[in-house]
Amino acid sequence: MTSLVTARNVSKSFGAVRAVDNVSFEIEKGKITGLFGPNGAGKTTLLKALLGLTDCDGDLSVLGLDPFRQRKELMKNICFIADVAVLPRWIKVEQLLDFVEATHPNYSRKRSEELLARTKVRKDARVRELSKGMVTQLHLSIITAVDARLLVLDEPTLGLDIIFRKEFYGNLLNDYFDGERTILITTHQVEEIENLMTDIMFINDGRLLLDASMESLASRFVELVTSGENADKARQLGPIYERDVFGKKVMTFEGIDRDKVAAFGELHTPSVADLFVAKVKGAAA
Amino acid sequence: MITNQLALVRRELWEHRSIYITPAVVGLVMILTLLTAFVFASGYQEIVDIGIVGAQNLAGDVERRAALLALLIGNSIPFIFAGAILTIFYCLDSLYAERKNKSILFWRSLPITDAETVISKLLTTVLAIPLIAFVVIVCVHLIILAITSIFVSIQGGSSVFLVWKSAPLFDVWAGMLIITILLPIWFSPFIGWFLFVSAWTKRSPLLMAFLPLALVPTLEYWVLRTHLIWDAIQTRFEQLPFLKGIDPEQFFDDERFIASTDAVSLLAYIDIGHFLASPQMWAGAVVCGLFITAAIYVRRYRDES
Repeated sequence: MTSLVTARNVSKSFGAVRAVDNVSFEIEKGKITGLFGPNGAGKTTLLKALLGLTDCDGDLSVLGLDPFRQRKELMKNICFIADVAVLPRWIKVEQLLDFVEATHPNYSRKRSEELLARTKVRKDARVRELSKGMVTQLHLSIITAVDARLLVLDEPTLGLDIIFRKEFYGNLLNDYFDGERTILITTHQVEEIENLMTDIMFINDGRLLLDASMESLASRFVELVTSGENADKARQLGPIYERDVFGKKVMTFEGIDRDKVAAFGELHTPSVADLFVAKVKGAAA
Repeated sequence: MITNQLALVRRELWEHRSIYITPAVVGLVMILTLLTAFVFASGYQEIVDIGIVGAQNLAGDVERRAALLALLIGNSIPFIFAGAILTIFYCLDSLYAERKNKSILFWRSLPITDAETVISKLLTTVLAIPLIAFVVIVCVHLIILAITSIFVSIQGGSSVFLVWKSAPLFDVWAGMLIITILLPIWFSPFIGWFLFVSAWTKRSPLLMAFLPLALVPTLEYWVLRTHLIWDAIQTRFEQLPFLKGIDPEQFFDDERFIASTDAVSLLAYIDIGHFLASPQMWAGAVVCGLFITAAIYVRRYRDES
Protein backbone atom coordinates (compact mmCIF):
# COMPACT_ATOMS: atom_id res chain seq x y z
CA MET A 1 0.00 0.00 0.00
CA THR A 2 1.17 3.49 -0.75
CA SER A 3 0.73 6.23 1.79
CA LEU A 4 -0.53 9.47 0.35
CA VAL A 5 -0.34 11.28 3.64
CA THR A 6 2.19 10.62 6.37
CA ALA A 7 2.07 12.63 9.57
CA ARG A 8 4.57 12.08 12.35
CA ASN A 9 4.31 14.05 15.58
CA VAL A 10 2.57 16.93 13.89
CA SER A 11 1.80 19.86 16.18
CA LYS A 12 0.54 23.38 15.71
CA SER A 13 0.17 25.96 18.47
CA PHE A 14 -1.55 29.30 18.54
CA GLY A 15 0.08 31.03 21.47
CA ALA A 16 -0.43 28.77 24.45
CA VAL A 17 -3.16 26.73 22.76
CA ARG A 18 -2.04 23.51 21.10
CA ALA A 19 -4.57 23.21 18.30
CA VAL A 20 -2.92 20.05 17.00
CA ASP A 21 -0.96 18.08 19.55
CA ASN A 22 1.56 15.49 18.47
CA VAL A 23 -0.59 13.74 15.89
CA SER A 24 0.67 10.81 13.83
CA PHE A 25 -1.25 8.91 11.15
CA GLU A 26 -1.14 7.67 7.58
CA ILE A 27 -3.72 7.79 4.83
CA GLU A 28 -3.41 5.19 2.13
CA LYS A 29 -4.33 5.41 -1.50
CA GLY A 30 -7.90 4.53 -2.41
CA LYS A 31 -9.33 5.18 1.03
CA ILE A 32 -12.21 7.38 2.06
CA THR A 33 -11.31 8.66 5.48
CA GLY A 34 -13.70 10.52 7.74
CA LEU A 35 -12.16 12.91 10.24
CA PHE A 36 -14.43 13.79 13.15
CA GLY A 37 -14.07 16.08 16.08
CA PRO A 38 -16.10 18.59 18.05
CA ASN A 39 -15.81 22.28 17.19
CA GLY A 40 -12.40 23.58 18.07
CA ALA A 41 -10.92 20.08 18.18
CA GLY A 42 -8.21 20.93 15.68
CA LYS A 43 -9.79 19.40 12.55
CA THR A 44 -9.59 22.50 10.45
CA THR A 45 -6.07 23.31 11.62
CA LEU A 46 -4.97 19.79 10.75
CA LEU A 47 -6.58 20.04 7.32
CA LYS A 48 -4.98 23.42 6.74
CA ALA A 49 -1.60 21.96 7.57
CA LEU A 50 -2.26 19.09 5.13
CA LEU A 51 -3.21 21.59 2.44
CA GLY A 52 -0.17 23.78 3.02
CA LEU A 53 -2.28 26.70 4.16
CA THR A 54 -0.47 26.87 7.46
CA ASP A 55 2.89 25.62 8.63
CA CYS A 56 3.32 23.18 11.53
CA ASP A 57 5.91 21.34 13.60
CA GLY A 58 6.77 17.70 13.06
CA ASP A 59 7.01 15.71 9.83
CA LEU A 60 4.18 16.05 7.42
CA SER A 61 4.29 14.67 3.92
CA VAL A 62 1.41 14.79 1.46
CA LEU A 63 1.90 13.02 -1.88
CA GLY A 64 5.57 13.01 -0.99
CA LEU A 65 5.67 16.80 -0.74
CA ASP A 66 6.10 19.23 2.11
CA PRO A 67 2.67 20.86 1.90
CA PHE A 68 3.65 24.29 3.21
CA ARG A 69 6.82 24.68 1.24
CA GLN A 70 5.63 23.00 -1.97
CA ARG A 71 2.02 24.16 -1.96
CA LYS A 72 1.85 25.03 -5.65
CA GLU A 73 3.17 21.63 -6.68
CA LEU A 74 0.81 19.97 -4.22
CA MET A 75 -2.25 21.83 -5.49
CA LYS A 76 -1.77 20.27 -8.92
CA ASN A 77 -2.68 16.92 -7.41
CA ILE A 78 -4.94 17.88 -4.55
CA CYS A 79 -8.39 19.39 -4.54
CA PHE A 80 -10.23 20.79 -1.62
CA ILE A 81 -13.49 22.35 -0.64
CA ALA A 82 -12.51 24.23 2.48
CA ASP A 83 -15.89 25.60 3.37
CA VAL A 84 -19.22 26.00 1.69
CA ALA A 85 -19.78 29.10 -0.38
CA VAL A 86 -16.17 30.21 -0.70
CA LEU A 87 -16.47 30.60 -4.43
CA PRO A 88 -16.11 34.31 -5.21
CA ARG A 89 -19.60 35.73 -5.50
CA TRP A 90 -18.85 38.22 -8.26
CA ILE A 91 -17.55 35.68 -10.75
CA LYS A 92 -19.57 34.22 -13.62
CA VAL A 93 -19.70 30.44 -13.96
CA GLU A 94 -18.12 30.69 -17.38
CA GLN A 95 -15.27 32.87 -16.05
CA LEU A 96 -14.66 30.46 -13.21
CA LEU A 97 -14.25 27.57 -15.64
CA ASP A 98 -12.01 29.73 -17.86
CA PHE A 99 -9.82 30.63 -14.92
CA VAL A 100 -9.41 27.11 -13.58
CA GLU A 101 -8.72 25.87 -17.11
CA ALA A 102 -5.99 28.48 -17.53
CA THR A 103 -4.29 27.83 -14.22
CA HIS A 104 -4.80 24.14 -13.45
CA PRO A 105 -2.77 21.66 -15.51
CA ASN A 106 -4.91 18.65 -14.53
CA TYR A 107 -8.33 20.15 -15.14
CA SER A 108 -10.78 18.98 -17.77
CA ARG A 109 -13.21 21.72 -18.65
CA LYS A 110 -15.24 19.32 -20.77
CA ARG A 111 -15.87 17.16 -17.74
CA SER A 112 -17.03 20.15 -15.67
CA GLU A 113 -19.42 21.15 -18.43
CA GLU A 114 -20.85 17.64 -18.63
CA LEU A 115 -21.45 17.64 -14.89
CA LEU A 116 -22.96 21.12 -14.92
CA ALA A 117 -25.29 20.17 -17.75
CA ARG A 118 -27.03 17.85 -15.31
CA THR A 119 -27.74 20.71 -12.93
CA LYS A 120 -29.70 23.96 -13.16
CA VAL A 121 -26.52 26.05 -12.99
CA ARG A 122 -26.45 28.43 -15.97
CA LYS A 123 -23.06 29.28 -17.40
CA ASP A 124 -23.76 32.98 -17.71
CA ALA A 125 -24.96 33.28 -14.11
CA ARG A 126 -22.88 34.91 -11.43
CA VAL A 127 -22.15 32.85 -8.35
CA ARG A 128 -24.13 35.29 -6.16
CA GLU A 129 -27.25 34.51 -8.20
CA LEU A 130 -27.01 30.79 -7.41
CA SER A 131 -28.55 29.05 -4.43
CA LYS A 132 -26.24 27.55 -1.82
CA GLY A 133 -26.91 24.08 -3.18
CA MET A 134 -26.10 25.17 -6.70
CA VAL A 135 -22.85 26.78 -5.58
CA THR A 136 -21.85 23.47 -4.04
CA GLN A 137 -22.80 21.64 -7.24
CA LEU A 138 -20.66 24.09 -9.18
CA HIS A 139 -17.73 23.68 -6.83
CA LEU A 140 -18.02 19.91 -6.94
CA SER A 141 -18.19 19.97 -10.74
CA ILE A 142 -14.88 21.81 -10.78
CA ILE A 143 -12.98 19.65 -8.34
CA THR A 144 -14.39 16.45 -9.77
CA ALA A 145 -13.03 17.51 -13.15
CA VAL A 146 -9.54 17.89 -11.74
CA ASP A 147 -7.55 14.72 -12.05
CA ALA A 148 -6.41 14.92 -8.44
CA ARG A 149 -5.03 12.14 -6.32
CA LEU A 150 -6.36 13.46 -3.05
CA LEU A 151 -9.60 15.26 -2.37
CA VAL A 152 -10.08 17.05 0.94
CA LEU A 153 -13.56 18.12 1.96
CA ASP A 154 -14.08 20.25 5.06
CA GLU A 155 -17.75 20.32 6.01
CA PRO A 156 -18.75 20.24 2.35
CA THR A 157 -22.48 20.02 2.96
CA LEU A 158 -22.88 22.47 5.83
CA GLY A 159 -26.07 24.46 5.45
CA LEU A 160 -27.42 22.40 2.57
CA ASP A 161 -30.81 20.75 2.65
CA ILE A 162 -31.12 17.00 2.82
CA ILE A 163 -31.72 16.51 -0.90
CA PHE A 164 -28.57 18.35 -1.89
CA ARG A 165 -26.61 16.56 0.82
CA LYS A 166 -27.63 13.12 -0.41
CA GLU A 167 -27.01 14.14 -3.98
CA PHE A 168 -23.61 15.56 -3.08
CA TYR A 169 -22.32 12.30 -1.66
CA GLY A 170 -23.97 10.31 -4.43
CA ASN A 171 -22.23 12.39 -7.06
CA LEU A 172 -18.98 12.24 -5.15
CA LEU A 173 -18.98 8.45 -5.23
CA ASN A 174 -20.23 8.10 -8.79
CA ASP A 175 -18.28 10.86 -10.49
CA TYR A 176 -15.14 11.19 -8.46
CA PHE A 177 -14.26 8.08 -6.55
CA ASP A 178 -12.80 5.27 -8.59
CA GLY A 179 -10.68 3.38 -6.08
CA GLU A 180 -7.55 5.11 -7.35
CA ARG A 181 -8.41 8.37 -5.73
CA THR A 182 -8.39 9.17 -2.07
CA ILE A 183 -10.80 11.29 -0.08
CA LEU A 184 -10.54 12.90 3.33
CA ILE A 185 -13.81 14.31 4.71
CA THR A 186 -14.75 16.18 7.85
CA THR A 187 -18.37 16.68 8.71
CA HIS A 188 -20.71 17.00 11.64
CA GLN A 189 -23.25 14.82 9.92
CA VAL A 190 -21.54 11.53 10.71
CA GLU A 191 -24.50 9.36 9.67
CA GLU A 192 -24.38 10.65 6.12
CA ILE A 193 -20.96 9.32 5.39
CA GLU A 194 -20.96 6.34 7.72
CA ASN A 195 -21.65 3.99 4.82
CA LEU A 196 -19.14 5.38 2.41
CA MET A 197 -16.10 5.69 4.65
CA THR A 198 -13.42 3.05 4.65
CA ASP A 199 -11.44 4.60 7.48
CA ILE A 200 -12.16 6.80 10.42
CA MET A 201 -10.26 9.21 12.63
CA PHE A 202 -11.41 11.01 15.78
CA ILE A 203 -9.69 14.12 17.02
CA ASN A 204 -10.33 16.05 20.21
CA ASP A 205 -8.34 18.78 21.95
CA GLY A 206 -5.78 18.45 19.20
CA ARG A 207 -5.12 14.79 19.92
CA LEU A 208 -5.98 11.79 17.80
CA LEU A 209 -8.36 9.54 19.76
CA LEU A 210 -8.99 6.95 17.11
CA ASP A 211 -7.49 5.96 13.79
CA ALA A 212 -9.02 2.76 12.47
CA SER A 213 -10.54 1.10 9.45
CA MET A 214 -14.33 0.80 9.43
CA GLU A 215 -14.00 -2.99 9.15
CA SER A 216 -12.01 -3.16 12.34
CA LEU A 217 -14.60 -1.26 14.37
CA ALA A 218 -16.87 -4.29 14.86
CA SER A 219 -14.10 -6.40 16.32
CA ARG A 220 -12.54 -3.58 18.28
CA PHE A 221 -15.61 -2.01 19.86
CA VAL A 222 -18.68 -3.48 21.39
CA GLU A 223 -21.68 -1.92 23.03
CA LEU A 224 -23.41 -3.69 25.87
CA VAL A 225 -26.98 -2.95 26.92
CA THR A 226 -27.49 -4.09 30.45
CA SER A 227 -28.98 -3.20 33.80
CA GLY A 228 -28.95 -3.94 37.54
CA GLU A 229 -26.44 -6.41 38.87
CA ASN A 230 -25.09 -7.28 35.47
CA ALA A 231 -24.24 -3.63 34.99
CA ASP A 232 -22.10 -3.64 38.11
CA LYS A 233 -20.29 -6.77 36.97
CA ALA A 234 -19.77 -5.40 33.46
CA ARG A 235 -18.43 -2.18 34.90
CA GLN A 236 -15.58 -4.20 36.46
CA LEU A 237 -14.40 -4.97 32.92
CA GLY A 238 -13.61 -1.29 32.33
CA PRO A 239 -15.91 0.22 29.72
CA ILE A 240 -14.53 3.31 28.07
CA TYR A 241 -17.88 5.04 28.36
CA GLU A 242 -21.23 4.50 29.97
CA ARG A 243 -24.59 6.14 29.36
CA ASP A 244 -28.22 5.71 30.35
CA VAL A 245 -30.86 4.87 27.78
CA PHE A 246 -34.45 4.29 28.93
CA GLY A 247 -33.34 3.15 32.37
CA LYS A 248 -30.77 0.78 30.97
CA LYS A 249 -27.03 1.13 30.98
CA VAL A 250 -25.23 1.22 27.69
CA MET A 251 -21.50 0.56 28.03
CA THR A 252 -18.91 0.83 25.31
CA PHE A 253 -15.91 -1.48 25.49
CA GLU A 254 -12.77 -1.28 23.49
CA GLY A 255 -10.54 -4.26 22.64
CA ILE A 256 -12.47 -6.75 24.72
CA ASP A 257 -13.42 -10.31 23.93
CA ARG A 258 -17.14 -10.29 23.06
CA ASP A 259 -17.70 -13.59 24.88
CA LYS A 260 -16.55 -12.00 28.11
CA VAL A 261 -19.35 -9.43 28.13
CA ALA A 262 -22.00 -11.41 26.25
CA ALA A 263 -23.29 -12.91 29.49
CA PHE A 264 -24.22 -9.51 30.93
CA GLY A 265 -26.69 -8.39 28.31
CA GLU A 266 -27.32 -7.55 24.71
CA LEU A 267 -24.37 -6.78 22.40
CA HIS A 268 -24.24 -4.31 19.50
CA THR A 269 -21.63 -2.81 17.32
CA PRO A 270 -21.76 0.90 18.18
CA SER A 271 -22.69 3.43 15.52
CA VAL A 272 -19.99 5.86 14.55
CA ALA A 273 -21.85 8.68 16.28
CA ASP A 274 -22.13 6.73 19.55
CA LEU A 275 -18.55 5.63 19.29
CA PHE A 276 -17.51 9.21 18.77
CA VAL A 277 -19.31 10.32 21.92
CA ALA A 278 -17.83 7.38 23.84
CA LYS A 279 -14.29 8.20 22.77
CA VAL A 280 -14.56 11.94 23.32
CA LYS A 281 -16.40 11.74 26.65
CA GLY A 282 -14.40 8.72 27.74
CA ALA A 283 -11.14 10.51 27.08
CA ALA A 284 -12.36 13.52 29.01
CA ALA A 285 -13.44 11.46 32.05
CA MET B 1 4.31 31.61 -14.98
CA ILE B 2 3.29 33.92 -17.85
CA THR B 3 0.05 32.06 -18.61
CA ASN B 4 -0.79 32.18 -14.92
CA GLN B 5 -0.11 35.92 -14.83
CA LEU B 6 -2.32 36.51 -17.86
CA ALA B 7 -5.13 34.51 -16.28
CA LEU B 8 -4.68 36.30 -12.96
CA VAL B 9 -4.66 39.79 -14.45
CA ARG B 10 -7.70 38.89 -16.57
CA ARG B 11 -9.41 37.79 -13.39
CA GLU B 12 -8.66 41.21 -11.84
CA LEU B 13 -10.41 42.86 -14.78
CA TRP B 14 -13.43 40.60 -14.31
CA GLU B 15 -13.62 41.36 -10.63
CA HIS B 16 -12.84 45.08 -10.74
CA ARG B 17 -14.94 46.36 -13.58
CA SER B 18 -14.25 49.89 -12.33
CA ILE B 19 -10.85 49.57 -14.03
CA TYR B 20 -12.49 50.21 -17.38
CA ILE B 21 -15.77 51.75 -16.29
CA THR B 22 -14.05 54.67 -14.52
CA PRO B 23 -12.08 55.94 -17.54
CA ALA B 24 -15.10 55.30 -19.77
CA VAL B 25 -17.29 57.47 -17.54
CA VAL B 26 -14.65 60.21 -17.38
CA GLY B 27 -14.41 60.11 -21.19
CA LEU B 28 -18.16 60.26 -21.58
CA VAL B 29 -18.41 63.26 -19.25
CA MET B 30 -15.74 65.09 -21.24
CA ILE B 31 -17.40 64.36 -24.55
CA LEU B 32 -20.76 65.53 -23.23
CA THR B 33 -19.16 68.69 -21.82
CA LEU B 34 -17.59 69.44 -25.16
CA LEU B 35 -20.89 68.89 -26.98
CA THR B 36 -22.66 71.19 -24.53
CA ALA B 37 -19.98 73.81 -25.06
CA PHE B 38 -20.40 73.62 -28.82
CA VAL B 39 -24.16 73.86 -28.64
CA PHE B 40 -23.80 76.82 -26.31
CA ALA B 41 -21.14 78.44 -28.49
CA SER B 42 -23.23 78.00 -31.65
CA GLY B 43 -25.77 80.38 -30.20
CA TYR B 44 -23.16 83.11 -30.02
CA GLN B 45 -21.33 82.45 -33.21
CA GLU B 46 -21.79 85.95 -34.53
CA ILE B 47 -20.18 87.51 -31.51
CA VAL B 48 -17.50 84.97 -30.88
CA ASP B 49 -16.27 83.22 -33.91
CA ILE B 50 -15.35 80.49 -31.59
CA GLY B 51 -12.38 78.76 -32.90
CA ILE B 52 -10.77 78.22 -29.55
CA VAL B 53 -11.17 74.55 -29.85
CA GLY B 54 -11.05 74.35 -33.58
CA ALA B 55 -8.20 76.82 -33.46
CA GLN B 56 -9.69 78.90 -36.24
CA ASN B 57 -8.79 82.17 -34.61
CA LEU B 58 -5.18 81.38 -34.40
CA ALA B 59 -3.10 82.76 -37.13
CA GLY B 60 -0.12 80.51 -37.57
CA ASP B 61 0.23 76.76 -37.94
CA VAL B 62 2.40 76.50 -34.86
CA GLU B 63 -0.08 78.37 -32.71
CA ARG B 64 -2.95 76.22 -33.92
CA ARG B 65 -0.87 73.19 -33.16
CA ALA B 66 -0.12 74.57 -29.70
CA ALA B 67 -3.79 75.15 -28.98
CA LEU B 68 -4.70 71.63 -30.06
CA LEU B 69 -1.83 70.21 -28.03
CA ALA B 70 -3.11 72.07 -24.98
CA LEU B 71 -6.63 70.80 -25.69
CA LEU B 72 -5.52 67.18 -25.98
CA ILE B 73 -3.29 67.30 -22.91
CA GLY B 74 -6.00 69.09 -20.97
CA ASN B 75 -8.42 66.36 -21.92
CA SER B 76 -5.99 63.71 -20.72
CA ILE B 77 -5.34 65.12 -17.26
CA PRO B 78 -8.73 64.12 -15.73
CA PHE B 79 -7.93 60.52 -16.66
CA ILE B 80 -4.73 60.70 -14.68
CA PHE B 81 -6.49 61.95 -11.56
CA ALA B 82 -9.32 59.44 -11.98
CA GLY B 83 -6.69 56.74 -12.51
CA ALA B 84 -4.93 57.73 -9.29
CA ILE B 85 -8.12 57.43 -7.25
CA LEU B 86 -9.02 54.19 -9.00
CA THR B 87 -5.57 52.80 -8.23
CA ILE B 88 -5.87 53.61 -4.52
CA PHE B 89 -9.23 51.90 -4.19
CA TYR B 90 -8.21 48.95 -6.35
CA CYS B 91 -5.03 48.33 -4.35
CA LEU B 92 -6.80 48.56 -1.01
CA ASP B 93 -9.53 46.17 -2.11
CA SER B 94 -7.46 43.66 -4.02
CA LEU B 95 -6.06 41.61 -1.14
CA TYR B 96 -8.67 42.58 1.43
CA ALA B 97 -11.96 41.59 -0.22
CA GLU B 98 -10.83 38.01 -0.87
CA ARG B 99 -10.13 37.56 2.83
CA LYS B 100 -13.31 39.30 3.88
CA ASN B 101 -15.52 37.09 1.69
CA LYS B 102 -13.39 33.98 2.29
CA SER B 103 -12.91 33.34 -1.42
CA ILE B 104 -9.17 33.30 -0.64
CA LEU B 105 -9.73 29.67 0.38
CA PHE B 106 -10.85 28.88 -3.13
CA TRP B 107 -8.06 30.83 -4.83
CA ARG B 108 -5.51 29.10 -2.65
CA SER B 109 -6.91 25.70 -3.60
CA LEU B 110 -5.53 26.23 -7.09
CA PRO B 111 -1.89 25.64 -8.05
CA ILE B 112 -0.92 29.31 -7.86
CA THR B 113 1.61 30.69 -5.39
CA ASP B 114 0.91 33.64 -3.13
CA ALA B 115 3.75 35.49 -4.83
CA GLU B 116 2.12 35.03 -8.24
CA THR B 117 -1.19 36.32 -6.91
CA VAL B 118 0.28 39.43 -5.25
CA ILE B 119 2.44 40.17 -8.30
CA SER B 120 -0.64 39.96 -10.53
CA LYS B 121 -2.25 42.70 -8.42
CA LEU B 122 0.88 44.82 -8.79
CA LEU B 123 0.92 44.24 -12.56
CA THR B 124 -2.73 45.20 -12.76
CA THR B 125 -1.87 48.47 -11.02
CA VAL B 126 1.24 49.42 -12.94
CA LEU B 127 0.28 48.03 -16.36
CA ALA B 128 -3.39 47.15 -16.84
CA ILE B 129 -4.92 50.26 -15.26
CA PRO B 130 -2.58 52.70 -17.10
CA LEU B 131 -2.87 50.91 -20.46
CA ILE B 132 -6.65 50.77 -20.32
CA ALA B 133 -6.73 54.46 -19.36
CA PHE B 134 -4.41 55.16 -22.27
CA VAL B 135 -6.63 53.36 -24.78
CA VAL B 136 -9.65 55.33 -23.52
CA ILE B 137 -7.65 58.57 -23.76
CA VAL B 138 -6.87 57.82 -27.42
CA CYS B 139 -10.52 57.05 -28.15
CA VAL B 140 -11.69 60.23 -26.41
CA HIS B 141 -9.13 62.29 -28.34
CA LEU B 142 -10.42 60.90 -31.62
CA ILE B 143 -14.05 61.51 -30.68
CA ILE B 144 -13.30 65.05 -29.48
CA LEU B 145 -11.44 65.87 -32.68
CA ALA B 146 -14.27 64.37 -34.73
CA ILE B 147 -16.81 66.56 -32.92
CA THR B 148 -14.52 69.55 -33.35
CA SER B 149 -14.24 68.80 -37.09
CA ILE B 150 -17.99 68.77 -37.43
CA PHE B 151 -18.19 72.07 -35.62
CA VAL B 152 -15.42 73.61 -37.71
CA SER B 153 -17.09 72.38 -40.92
CA ILE B 154 -20.41 73.89 -39.89
CA GLN B 155 -18.55 77.15 -39.34
CA GLY B 156 -17.23 76.85 -42.85
CA GLY B 157 -13.66 75.93 -42.01
CA SER B 158 -11.63 73.10 -43.42
CA SER B 159 -11.59 70.44 -40.74
CA VAL B 160 -8.93 68.40 -42.47
CA PHE B 161 -6.55 71.31 -42.50
CA LEU B 162 -7.55 73.04 -39.27
CA VAL B 163 -8.01 70.02 -37.11
CA TRP B 164 -6.57 66.75 -38.36
CA LYS B 165 -3.42 68.13 -39.97
CA SER B 166 -2.76 70.42 -37.03
CA ALA B 167 -3.34 68.06 -34.14
CA PRO B 168 -0.04 66.58 -32.94
CA LEU B 169 -1.76 63.26 -32.29
CA PHE B 170 1.19 60.93 -32.28
CA ASP B 171 3.27 63.25 -30.18
CA VAL B 172 0.50 63.51 -27.59
CA TRP B 173 -0.22 59.78 -27.65
CA ALA B 174 3.41 58.75 -27.33
CA GLY B 175 3.81 61.29 -24.53
CA MET B 176 0.66 60.18 -22.72
CA LEU B 177 1.66 56.53 -23.04
CA ILE B 178 5.01 57.27 -21.43
CA ILE B 179 3.42 59.38 -18.70
CA THR B 180 0.72 56.84 -17.85
CA ILE B 181 3.36 54.10 -17.57
CA LEU B 182 5.93 56.13 -15.64
CA LEU B 183 3.53 57.72 -13.15
CA PRO B 184 2.68 54.48 -11.32
CA ILE B 185 6.36 53.56 -11.27
CA TRP B 186 7.19 56.91 -9.68
CA PHE B 187 4.42 56.48 -7.14
CA SER B 188 5.17 52.78 -6.65
CA PRO B 189 6.13 53.13 -2.95
CA PHE B 190 2.53 54.18 -2.29
CA ILE B 191 1.20 51.34 -4.45
CA GLY B 192 3.34 48.88 -2.50
CA TRP B 193 2.14 50.35 0.77
CA PHE B 194 -1.54 50.16 -0.25
CA LEU B 195 -1.19 46.55 -1.40
CA PHE B 196 0.54 45.67 1.85
CA VAL B 197 -2.22 47.32 3.90
CA SER B 198 -4.77 45.44 1.83
CA ALA B 199 -3.09 42.12 2.60
CA TRP B 200 -2.52 42.91 6.23
CA THR B 201 -5.35 44.91 7.76
CA LYS B 202 -8.25 43.21 9.47
CA ARG B 203 -10.60 46.17 9.00
CA SER B 204 -11.09 49.54 7.26
CA PRO B 205 -8.20 49.42 4.77
CA LEU B 206 -8.73 53.04 3.69
CA LEU B 207 -8.23 54.33 7.21
CA MET B 208 -5.35 51.97 7.88
CA ALA B 209 -3.66 53.15 4.70
CA PHE B 210 -3.90 56.87 5.29
CA LEU B 211 -3.71 57.18 9.05
CA PRO B 212 -0.06 56.05 9.25
CA LEU B 213 0.83 58.46 6.44
CA ALA B 214 -0.17 61.24 8.82
CA LEU B 215 0.73 59.65 12.15
CA VAL B 216 4.20 58.34 11.41
CA PRO B 217 5.64 61.70 10.26
CA THR B 218 4.01 63.40 13.28
CA LEU B 219 5.54 60.82 15.58
CA GLU B 220 8.90 61.25 13.93
CA TYR B 221 8.72 64.97 14.52
CA TRP B 222 7.73 64.61 18.18
CA VAL B 223 10.34 62.03 19.00
CA LEU B 224 13.25 62.90 16.77
CA ARG B 225 12.45 66.49 15.82
CA THR B 226 13.12 65.56 12.20
CA HIS B 227 10.78 65.39 9.24
CA LEU B 228 12.51 63.01 6.87
CA ILE B 229 9.45 60.86 6.16
CA TRP B 230 7.23 63.84 5.54
CA ASP B 231 9.85 65.32 3.19
CA ALA B 232 10.08 62.03 1.33
CA ILE B 233 6.30 61.94 0.87
CA GLN B 234 6.10 65.58 -0.08
CA THR B 235 8.90 65.62 -2.64
CA ARG B 236 7.34 62.63 -4.35
CA PHE B 237 4.43 64.91 -5.27
CA GLU B 238 6.44 68.04 -5.95
CA GLN B 239 8.69 66.84 -8.70
CA LEU B 240 8.13 64.29 -11.41
CA PRO B 241 11.60 63.44 -12.70
CA PHE B 242 10.35 62.42 -16.15
CA LEU B 243 8.99 65.92 -16.80
CA LYS B 244 11.33 68.72 -17.69
CA GLY B 245 10.46 72.03 -16.17
CA ILE B 246 7.89 73.81 -18.32
CA ASP B 247 8.66 77.37 -19.15
CA PRO B 248 5.28 78.97 -19.81
CA GLU B 249 6.92 81.88 -21.62
CA GLN B 250 8.56 79.59 -24.05
CA PHE B 251 5.50 77.46 -24.52
CA PHE B 252 3.03 80.18 -25.16
CA ASP B 253 3.91 83.80 -25.09
CA ASP B 254 0.69 85.66 -24.36
CA GLU B 255 1.88 89.03 -25.48
CA ARG B 256 3.36 88.01 -28.73
CA PHE B 257 0.89 85.22 -29.18
CA ILE B 258 3.57 83.14 -30.75
CA ALA B 259 4.63 79.68 -29.81
CA SER B 260 8.02 78.31 -30.57
CA THR B 261 7.93 75.25 -32.80
CA ASP B 262 10.20 73.11 -30.65
CA ALA B 263 8.11 73.71 -27.60
CA VAL B 264 4.88 72.55 -29.19
CA SER B 265 5.38 68.92 -28.35
CA LEU B 266 4.57 66.86 -25.31
CA LEU B 267 7.52 64.57 -25.96
CA ALA B 268 9.83 67.58 -25.76
CA TYR B 269 8.98 67.83 -22.05
CA ILE B 270 9.58 64.20 -21.26
CA ASP B 271 12.98 63.00 -20.21
CA ILE B 272 13.09 59.23 -19.70
CA GLY B 273 16.84 59.26 -19.21
CA HIS B 274 16.54 61.64 -16.29
CA PHE B 275 13.82 59.42 -14.84
CA LEU B 276 15.89 56.26 -15.12
CA ALA B 277 18.88 58.01 -13.60
CA SER B 278 16.88 59.38 -10.70
CA PRO B 279 17.98 57.85 -7.39
CA GLN B 280 14.57 58.69 -5.90
CA MET B 281 12.86 56.58 -8.53
CA TRP B 282 15.03 53.56 -7.70
CA ALA B 283 14.72 54.15 -3.98
CA GLY B 284 10.94 54.22 -4.43
CA ALA B 285 11.02 50.99 -6.41
CA VAL B 286 12.99 49.33 -3.62
CA VAL B 287 10.47 50.53 -1.03
CA CYS B 288 7.68 49.16 -3.23
CA GLY B 289 9.53 45.84 -3.49
CA LEU B 290 9.82 45.62 0.28
CA PHE B 291 6.11 46.26 0.79
CA ILE B 292 5.22 43.72 -1.91
CA THR B 293 7.45 41.12 -0.25
CA ALA B 294 5.75 41.86 3.05
CA ALA B 295 2.31 41.51 1.39
CA ILE B 296 3.29 38.11 -0.04
CA TYR B 297 4.61 37.04 3.34
CA VAL B 298 1.43 38.07 5.14
CA ARG B 299 -0.83 36.33 2.60
CA ARG B 300 1.24 33.18 2.86
CA TYR B 301 1.86 32.96 6.59
CA ARG B 302 -1.11 34.46 8.28
CA ASP B 303 -3.71 31.96 9.35
CA GLU B 304 -6.95 33.75 10.01
CA SER B 305 -9.13 30.90 11.07
